Amino acid sequence: MKEQRKGLPLILPTLLIMGLFTVYPLLDGLRMAFTNQNLLRDTWKYVGFQNFVRLFHDEVFWLSLYQSLILVTVVVVLQFVLGLVLAWAMSQKLPGMGVFKSVIMASWVIPVAATVTMFKFMAQPDVGFFNIVLRGLGLGHVARYWLGDPNLALPFIMMMHLWRNVPFYGVAFLAAMQAIPSSLYEAAEIDGANAWQRFIHVTLPGIRSMIMVMVTIHVLWTFNNFDFVYLATGGGPVNRTYVLPVFVYRQSWESYNLGYAASIGTVMLVILMIYFIVYIRIYERGVVAR
Amino acid sequence: MRTKTAERLRSAILAYLVIAVSLCFFIMPMLWIIYTSFRTQASIFTGEIVSALKEYTLENYATVLMVTDFPAYFLNSIQIALSVTALSLVCAILGAYGLSRFRIKGKNLMIIGIFSTQMFPQVMLIIPIYLIIFSLYLLDKVPGVVLAQMILVLPFQVWMLKGYFDNIPMDLDEAATIDGCSILQRLVYVILPVAAPGIMVAAFYSFVVSWGDYLIVSIVSQSQRTATVTLIIARLTASLLVRWGQVAAATVLTIVPTIILFSFVQNQLVAGLTAGAVKEE
Repeated sequence: MKEQRKGLPLILPTLLIMGLFTVYPLLDGLRMAFTNQNLLRDTWKYVGFQNFVRLFHDEVFWLSLYQSLILVTVVVVLQFVLGLVLAWAMSQKLPGMGVFKSVIMASWVIPVAATVTMFKFMAQPDVGFFNIVLRGLGLGHVARYWLGDPNLALPFIMMMHLWRNVPFYGVAFLAAMQAIPSSLYEAAEIDGANAWQRFIHVTLPGIRSMIMVMVTIHVLWTFNNFDFVYLATGGGPVNRTYVLPVFVYRQSWESYNLGYAASIGTVMLVILMIYFIVYIRIYERGVVAR
Repeated sequence: MRTKTAERLRSAILAYLVIAVSLCFFIMPMLWIIYTSFRTQASIFTGEIVSALKEYTLENYATVLMVTDFPAYFLNSIQIALSVTALSLVCAILGAYGLSRFRIKGKNLMIIGIFSTQMFPQVMLIIPIYLIIFSLYLLDKVPGVVLAQMILVLPFQVWMLKGYFDNIPMDLDEAATIDGCSILQRLVYVILPVAAPGIMVAAFYSFVVSWGDYLIVSIVSQSQRTATVTLIIARLTASLLVRWGQVAAATVLTIVPTIILFSFVQNQLVAGLTAGAVKEE
């Protein structure tokens, strides 16, 4: 009991800040979703499910939802696969690997705004690196402003996500791989397992909890990420890169519809909660199966 | 035996291939922007990769540093990122220590609660946060930005540092208690020195996240008084006629602090970031 009284004050500052700046805003946001609150008006009233009804009939909402889900799925799956490949390559004991490992995560530490600027510059139709290279290869006819093409802008944004996060996956998976006892590999080798079988039956199960952590963190991060799309295209061209966070942001700060924006945010929260419930089910089943 | 050697060789070639492609993809964009920052506007617009020697210049940096307001934004960024780092470290160290070492009612619920706030859409939280900051008279003030940015870093820091502290044997605490140390003395003299690498990573993490934040600054900042470098490089590329040389110089200056700090922590970074994830193994 004495210990308890001593421990609580230590956590208090964190709890206070999180309470005031996340728990209260969350509850207030949920309340707001049922109002017609507007940044330009002082008065507001509760409007029931009106915002959600409007959402249901809003084409941009459905497009954003669809594009958000596509973005998260493609990006996280590719990050996972490429991260594994990178981790495998780095786990080979070869000269120069140390230097490579120490520089590769640089893309993760620089601001997203800087990343977007770099790639926006490289995507430029006349002076962009990609188009200069394409022209040099005699493929001048495919040169274009990559973020201005309705079909290619979203894939281009996905590529920026990969650029930022794949090295983090690689280095994290590598750390988990190195924690696997080498006796397991030796045993598998004695049993006649080839390299691929050892990877499937020893490496993958060995880094399972790291995979779970990385995938979860990045599903959340990618689904909630706002600045990649907003700074690269703002949702265009012709709404073809609109994702839910950008929709919320533009509704609240460009149209000032706080109530409507909050209702979209509520839908985002519900989607993430569904993801979590399914995820925990799968995780628990996996633990039991083992 | 021969098949074994062949397999090794094949792995080595394949690994180097992966490394070579990765280097091109992950490092090249940074080299390209650095290279561009030293070129004149005219030479950038030729659309050639290499230009005559006289087309390389320091003019872009001179303009960004002398003519534009960039230095003011840079100082804002430094001030905000350092404040967030200091404040979040104090809160997270105390909080993680409390959660790691004390029996507290509802502790597991608190841990889950703190971590699950990561799931809340920030674009939605920012609406009420704006109203709170407004009613605290902190709009467009550094403390307002700092307080709001705390939510970006605190949950992860607490989780990470708790993982670090959990790995430190309790015997150390007990020995110090017998020597008559108070709770805070135990934390400062026993735990912190052992956990120094983890704390460095936590500090690095919060500096980098604060430095790179765009969402919160774009709402809470209303003028040059609190605008940061991320805000200004985003604004530069949105204008109609982009001076790419200057944009490149500003971008390089924005990246440099994070890369310098990164070079100090790179060896601890991954162990630190994943401390919470690997401890249960």
